[in-house]
Amino acid sequence: SSTYRRPAALFSPFIRRQQVLLLYRRILQTIRQVPNDSDRKYLKDWAREEFKRNKSATEEDTIRMMITQGNMQLKELERTLALAKS
Amino acid sequence: MASRVLSSCVHRLPVAFAPLPRVSMLVAAQPFSTALCSTGTRTRPGPSQPAAVLMQVPGRVTQLCRQYCEDHVLYILKLYNKIEPEKLCINSHFMKDLGLDRLDQVEIIMAMEDEFGFEIPDLDAEKLICPQEIVDYIVDKKDVYE
Repeated sequence: SSTYRRPAALFSPFIRRQQVLLLYRRILQTIRQVPNDSDRKYLKDWAREEFKRNKSATEEDTIRMMITQGNMQLKELERTLALAKS
Repeated sequence: MASRVLSSCVHRLPVAFAPLPRVSMLVAAQPFSTALCSTGTRTRPGPSQPAAVLMQVPGRVTQLCRQYCEDHVLYILKLYNKIEPEKLCINSHFMKDLGLDRLDQVEIIMAMEDEFGFEIPDLDAEKLICPQEIVDYIVDKKDVYE
């Protein structure tokens, strides 16, 4: 029998939290590239509001869904920026 | 959603970080104890000039000393509207002493990156949880003399 135990830590709240924080950072890093000052401030406030609002979520499924959604919004932001630059 | 946000009318919202004054104004407001040099020299401070002279290099200060780092890190934090300035000291723990959360910490580190003009890797960034640690990190990573 295998002495290897499936790492439950992969799905632990701690790892989830790290993912969320990294996502937040990535979003803020992308927003940095927004050329217009007002737009940049608006987006920073929007991002902060989104993350703060969902801060207390505890259900694994909810958290996972929000991370997925957040990643999609990050991609969309990157795409919009790329379009704006072209 | 992001594209809708971008393309919609933008209205002014209160921001976490107040617009920073030009660095030269900062010197006029509060003279630092040590002089700052920059890589390109124009005039050397003469006896009639204030002790602290700051050459403004657009966007960043290129040569730093520890005292400046400490002063500037604390200055930036005081501008953060979620921090009560009277509670802030060099060893204030962001979460335990100042009541901030991890999202705030992310914003703070990004503001420090913007201020000091360099990127901090993710794994290092998440570990910096008080002003002293930020200063020590900057002193270590940049060409700072003590």
